[in-house]
Amino acid sequence: MDDFLSRALDLASVQGASYCDVRLVETNQERFVVRSGAVDTLSNDESLGIGVRVLVNGFWGFASTNIVSAAEVDRITGLAVEIAKASAQSNNGPVSLGPPVTSRGVYTTPIQVDPFSISSEDKLGLLLESDRRMGSVKGISARTGNLIFIKEHKTFANSEDAHVEQTIYEAGGGIMATARGNGEVQRRSYPQSMRQQGCAGWEFVDAMDLVGNAERIATEAVALLSADHCPSGVTTLIVGASQLGLQIHESCGHAIELDRVLGSEAAYAGTSFLTTDKLNNFQYGSEQVNITADSVRLPGLGSYGWDDEGVPAQSTPVVENGRFTGYLTSRETAAGLDLGLKPNGSMRAASWNRIPLIRMTNVSLEPGNWELEDLIADTEDGIMMEMNRSWSIDDRRFNFQFGTEIGYEIKKGKLGKILRNCTYTGITPEFWNSCDAVCNDKLWTMWGIPNCGKGQPGQIGHTGHGAAPARFRNIQVGVMK
Amino acid sequence: MLGREAALVLLDKALGYSKAQETDIYLNAQDLGLSRFAGGAIHQNVAHGNVVLNVRSVVGKRLGRATTNDLSDSGIKKAVESAHQNALLMPEDSNFIGLPPPSDAVTVESWDEATAFCSPETRAKIAHGVCLQGKEHDLNVSGACRTGVQEIAVVSSHGTRAYHAGTFAGLIINTMSDDSAGWAKGGGWRLADMDTEALGREAVGKAVDGRKPMAIEPGRYPVVLDTYAVDDILEALSLYGMGAQAVQEGRSWMNDIIGDRAMSPNVTIWDDGSATQGWPVPFDAEGMPRRRVDVITAGVINTPVHNSYTAGKDGIVSTGHQAYFTGAPIASNLFMQEGDSSLQGLIRSTERGIYITRFFYTRLAHSKGCVMTGMTRDGTFMIENGQITHPVKDLRFTQSYVDALAGVELVGRESKLVLNEVGFATRVPALKLSSFNFTGVTV
Repeated sequence: MDDFLSRALDLASVQGASYCDVRLVETNQERFVVRSGAVDTLSNDESLGIGVRVLVNGFWGFASTNIVSAAEVDRITGLAVEIAKASAQSNNGPVSLGPPVTSRGVYTTPIQVDPFSISSEDKLGLLLESDRRMGSVKGISARTGNLIFIKEHKTFANSEDAHVEQTIYEAGGGIMATARGNGEVQRRSYPQSMRQQGCAGWEFVDAMDLVGNAERIATEAVALLSADHCPSGVTTLIVGASQLGLQIHESCGHAIELDRVLGSEAAYAGTSFLTTDKLNNFQYGSEQVNITADSVRLPGLGSYGWDDEGVPAQSTPVVENGRFTGYLTSRETAAGLDLGLKPNGSMRAASWNRIPLIRMTNVSLEPGNWELEDLIADTEDGIMMEMNRSWSIDDRRFNFQFGTEIGYEIKKGKLGKILRNCTYTGITPEFWNSCDAVCNDKLWTMWGIPNCGKGQPGQIGHTGHGAAPARFRNIQVGVMK
Repeated sequence: MLGREAALVLLDKALGYSKAQETDIYLNAQDLGLSRFAGGAIHQNVAHGNVVLNVRSVVGKRLGRATTNDLSDSGIKKAVESAHQNALLMPEDSNFIGLPPPSDAVTVESWDEATAFCSPETRAKIAHGVCLQGKEHDLNVSGACRTGVQEIAVVSSHGTRAYHAGTFAGLIINTMSDDSAGWAKGGGWRLADMDTEALGREAVGKAVDGRKPMAIEPGRYPVVLDTYAVDDILEALSLYGMGAQAVQEGRSWMNDIIGDRAMSPNVTIWDDGSATQGWPVPFDAEGMPRRRVDVITAGVINTPVHNSYTAGKDGIVSTGHQAYFTGAPIASNLFMQEGDSSLQGLIRSTERGIYITRFFYTRLAHSKGCVMTGMTRDGTFMIENGQITHPVKDLRFTQSYVDALAGVELVGRESKLVLNEVGFATRVPALKLSSFNFTGVTV
């Protein structure tokens, strides 16, 4: 297969490309879905293809094919060059990539048990038993469960002599119970909405104990049907770890993508309020808020050896004691600004037929010092919300609104009754500046988000977000009421 | 692209490898060219081609699946055998009635040679043209222009043999100044039908008129929704409840109101996969003809759309809405009946309200009533005494879309085709709604 990569690099050079990179990607995926006692999906999915990206006279072109042959490699390389020449018709000057990238090596996600070595019967059995236990609870109208296992083998080479080979494993799963009655519909999920997913082996799913949590979440879904509505008003809010993972994703992770900041996504996903004048010069959050973007902390879904420009995986502090200090960058965005930035290994493509974009790696809120019990005891009056149900944020990542599956009243330092239809809303920097406590590493979990959309044509990214429960003051809640 | 003969030969070969009791194979192929621009210049410019075979194998009441884009003999054999093996591993599903029988072939004309083979130079010229339009007004212009071919084909051991090739073209334009933004979107199956210059004017006009927006208090306001915002409503109603799976599982907005007049008599919505005024796809991933389904008639909620599985559960015939290889049935070529008002008429009828170009990042907040939250974006204006008086800062809403359509007072007489990236299309008019609930304002 390396012959095809060399062929594309050589041909691109002959045809006038000043830079070329090639990715050959083979993906194997197993999917299992159970719905209310029946197996909805048992599928093995395979995808193989090659993509060629070139710079000609400083302008980009990219082409790809699912037929990995010498003739097709020649065709798409020529097409990429033709496209790059067309790009020159509307340009703001040639692209600079900065210093060359010459990485070489091999990386494989460290796993304990190859998920593809576990039988499909065992995987289905896990989902069916979880489904049976959810179904044993009176009042449940629908149950779903899903497992997914991915093995991606990827070879990258560029015209600067980089050559890296990676095998990335992912494993994930989750269950959800829906209850209907009293003119109401409520749901509970475990370990998080849709599923929890990580760069890991079978051991990651095995440790979830889906079966052991099935009856509990079903019982909670039924209880929510008659729970009090989330009150409306301004209160103290403790955000659970899973929900906080998505809060980080939406209000920090996307906001620090430097391509968004520079306008590349303006027509689709939007821009960012974290403009370059704010770097090292903006109080994003309170002193308690420390956020890191890294591509090395397993089992985060943003973990790998090198990104899709061949830049090594690394760790970048993006918020330090509340101060905004770093972006997720690419070679082009880092080199295009006079800010002393370097590419920090954040460029990933969703598939062989997509170009790499700046994608979140593992963007995590570092743990604080609080025990959750102490944090609740220290809260006179408030609400704790957990497990995402809905999410929305504006195109500059300022105004957000989240809904959660469940909430708990906090009165005089104690958790009280459960609450349904919980929502909270705010403005990103105001919200993070109201954070006065973060729990310690005992409850810190690396959450996986496998459905992050960006780019045109669309790309689904997989990102990681470590978080522990944290407390926020003066938050508007109960927007649905 | 493969073409009819090559696609069916490929599928017949794959079918010949199957040893299962029943088998069907769905081919989904796409050739795409997309030129993306930002800051007034092309910054991403791509092409891709892919052919995916999706295999379903049935043993008794058990159905296994596999997909591959490896079109070698060994790759196809592996996928077919894998689907069969997966079927053998499944428990019996008493609700599964087998693969659908063959249906009469349905053909729809949605092929345009110039669109299919549009060059990157042509797309670059379009991008350059709209960037220049924005530049004249000191606006930062972003967007994407795409063209391509979508091929689908289905063969089955029951005798289904269906093939369709359609073309697509789309242009989105976002214009931005320091304090305003505009938007336009065009699309269809023929590039020549897209007036790119007019789309550029539309997006530029919104951003120019939107400068110096004023913040207004959240609350309930009458609204005039441009077609892009109406598209969002139909898309949400489709995704969160027009499919029978959601109804059968009790998590659709349709639950408990089927047969009721839950919306304004001015609201009539249907799905029609064969209608060329939309983005037609004549059959679904099971090879079933995509029949017209009158989902809502004069405000009365009629019926969801079905695939063969959900139809079997309800004892009826599939309506042909298995849009993708897996997942729930989806209404994806939706139409809303036009009325008799011009857009200016909708605005003139509004004493005090808000004109909204489009919604952004809308998500389901609660399934009952299809309560959605999201933001306005790219052109939001105050209407006072029947006239647009000034731009306003973008607002967050939390609103039941069912309740919103219960308050449709007037319907625009012109409809627009809004083609989304994943093949989801609506043809919708502008609307005047009596009330819309805004719950926040952005910075």
